[in-house]
Amino acid sequence: MRAVIKNGVGVFHPQGFLDGNSSLSILSIEDIEATVKSNADMILVSLKKVIFFNRNGLDSFVKMFQKIRHKNHIIVGFCDYDTKKYNAINKFYKDDTSFSLFLNQEVATLFAPNFNKEQKNVLLYSEDKSQRTALAIELHDNGHNPIIAQSQKEFNQKINLKDTYDIIVKDTFLGQTGQKVASRVTGNAIIYTVSSFLDTEIGSTFNINYHENSLNVGFRLFIFDAYKVVSMNVHALNFFSKLASSSAEYNATICFVGMNFDKTPISFKETLEDSGIMFFEQMDDILQNKELLEELGASSASMVKNKRTLNKVMITELPNFIDATVSTIEMMTNAQAQKEAVQVDTIHVQEKDGKIASSIGFYGDIDGMIILIFPVEIAKKACELLIGETTEDQALILDTLAELVNIVGGKLKTLLAEHHISVDITLPRTYYDIASLMEVAQNKKGVQVDLTFNNDKFLFFLTR
Amino acid sequence: MRVYILITQEHINFYIEKIPPMPKTLKVTMQLLQESELLKASQIAKTDKALSSYLKELVNKPIYGFKNEVQDIAQIFGILGVIKSQQVVYNYMVSLLSPSQWNFFQLNKTTFYTFQADLSVGWQKILAHLGIKDREFEATITLLPASVIVSEALFCEKKEDITLLKSVKEINLNTILQRLCNQTLFDICETIAKKWDMEAKTIALLHASSGIKPANDPMCNTLGKWMHLFLFYTLSKPIYIEAGLNDFIEFNIDYVEDIYEDFALLMEVA
Repeated sequence: MRAVIKNGVGVFHPQGFLDGNSSLSILSIEDIEATVKSNADMILVSLKKVIFFNRNGLDSFVKMFQKIRHKNHIIVGFCDYDTKKYNAINKFYKDDTSFSLFLNQEVATLFAPNFNKEQKNVLLYSEDKSQRTALAIELHDNGHNPIIAQSQKEFNQKINLKDTYDIIVKDTFLGQTGQKVASRVTGNAIIYTVSSFLDTEIGSTFNINYHENSLNVGFRLFIFDAYKVVSMNVHALNFFSKLASSSAEYNATICFVGMNFDKTPISFKETLEDSGIMFFEQMDDILQNKELLEELGASSASMVKNKRTLNKVMITELPNFIDATVSTIEMMTNAQAQKEAVQVDTIHVQEKDGKIASSIGFYGDIDGMIILIFPVEIAKKACELLIGETTEDQALILDTLAELVNIVGGKLKTLLAEHHISVDITLPRTYYDIASLMEVAQNKKGVQVDLTFNNDKFLFFLTR
Repeated sequence: MRVYILITQEHINFYIEKIPPMPKTLKVTMQLLQESELLKASQIAKTDKALSSYLKELVNKPIYGFKNEVQDIAQIFGILGVIKSQQVVYNYMVSLLSPSQWNFFQLNKTTFYTFQADLSVGWQKILAHLGIKDREFEATITLLPASVIVSEALFCEKKEDITLLKSVKEINLNTILQRLCNQTLFDICETIAKKWDMEAKTIALLHASSGIKPANDPMCNTLGKWMHLFLFYTLSKPIYIEAGLNDFIEFNIDYVEDIYEDFALLMEVA
């Protein structure tokens, strides 16, 4: 079975009855590994459409979870259950729950290490005091605002205050977490949270793929939230020095915030500063300083000195890039898509109002980025198959546009593989208006193709 | 320029047009079975070698539970009785639509026939438990595998596209068809059933079993719940999960909630 991967969370959706025999057919270790390779930092099995499960049925998943968690440092577990199912799982695994349980996928996403999330006000309750604390810390570390109810009574009172909370977290259990370096996005900066002792483990807990993908899609400022770091050893020092050097190729800046050198040699700080890493005492010293943000590259990608241009391979493969886009749009709309004007230049959007965009990067034998720009109404049409209903929900439309551009990336990967060109794709990114897109793309040169389906126009842009 | 459209109404119309009407031998066999003329029906059935061979293969599957191999058609009809004999003949008709080579689903002739047998025998057990003896309701179960055949026919060349779609969204073939063409797999099966002159009651139960279109008649609706749950009970077997059948349509848990306990007792789910 294949997982649905969204926001860094890979979810398998079995249906019907789960016992020892069926669960082995539903999920194999290869299925999970393929999901991890596709940028998932959390692997879950949804129980939403499972009407029956027994201990044997869950056991085969749990065994696989343990293997994969140990190897890849990711969060594993179950989601989408009701209280009856939650109690049944707790009964099966009373004192031995190494996996996590998330009430639903929305709750799970709050705990996903690498999801570009906005801060949410989260009402939180767990009967278990240590779980309440663990959940709250993890939420806080991921950039959210947890409000803890200390008793069921308090929870019942607070839950009635509608519109106060974005999400309610209950019937949720945090098992062994991945211990991956958590990351979140603030504006155009990426914040990684590191804690305790930084040693050789940082090489496996830091998601280098995610970092490279972020560079590929235009992020230029990376902040390590190091308030909780106790000390750093020489292995970690080497790791961060190398990270700084490789990021410098993209003109990216790496900063450390709140790092204390009481138990770390001060010479390490000098070494890191020599590699280009900057140190700040408070997060607000950076985030509230617009001028500094601009200087550090968080407000625009236009600072990139070594502007990269399309190369011969990209031009040769241009029909495949267009094909991947056209075929996806045709598949999603049941309408024939057509190519109109083609031009090589910086991106040029005539009418900027009422348009949204999404992009996906690719890297490997060749690297670059595809950008699709749609009028909102046309984006809705293009996403109808995935949304399934009429909606004015801008967040949902953007979310679905990300899914669409993900399919484009998947198709591109297949088409290029036929030409013996191997690429991986990054997580998709969306832009709620043209101004936010331009922060990343305005000075990039590339191929712009005007496309239509059912006389509706949209824009394709390929750049590096 | 290549066109990548996934599925259109024209595709569906073209597919339906290709479905043959019921062959004459089958029509006569069915007619005689309806008149309880088992012997005469078996004599006609014998003249169709493909039908004879299918009947022998199907009823000798372990799930039918015959101790000795049954080779004679008259004997088969005799053991099964009128209603079950009609059911196996309908199964044969559906099998005529199955492709020689499966591409979308990991099925073959043997596993597909096993699927038909599993559904038919299990459904007989359910109807017996509910105390229902009804020719039309018995026949409905034979149409469920037709939805698998229709899916294979419509999506066999789009496997990669569907895989990509399913990697970004939890979506099934029935939903894709409904959103793109405003028709479900069950609507197409209805057209097939009508082409074969199957009864309205059979078709109503088919729709109720989809989990998305409850029947007006309460009895039909209850049976639809049982059939929907039984379908997913069957699709949870490893052989069908590995064939890719577990999520080709959506399982509606809420729809079957009120009959689940009774079902679990009957099927000894533990």
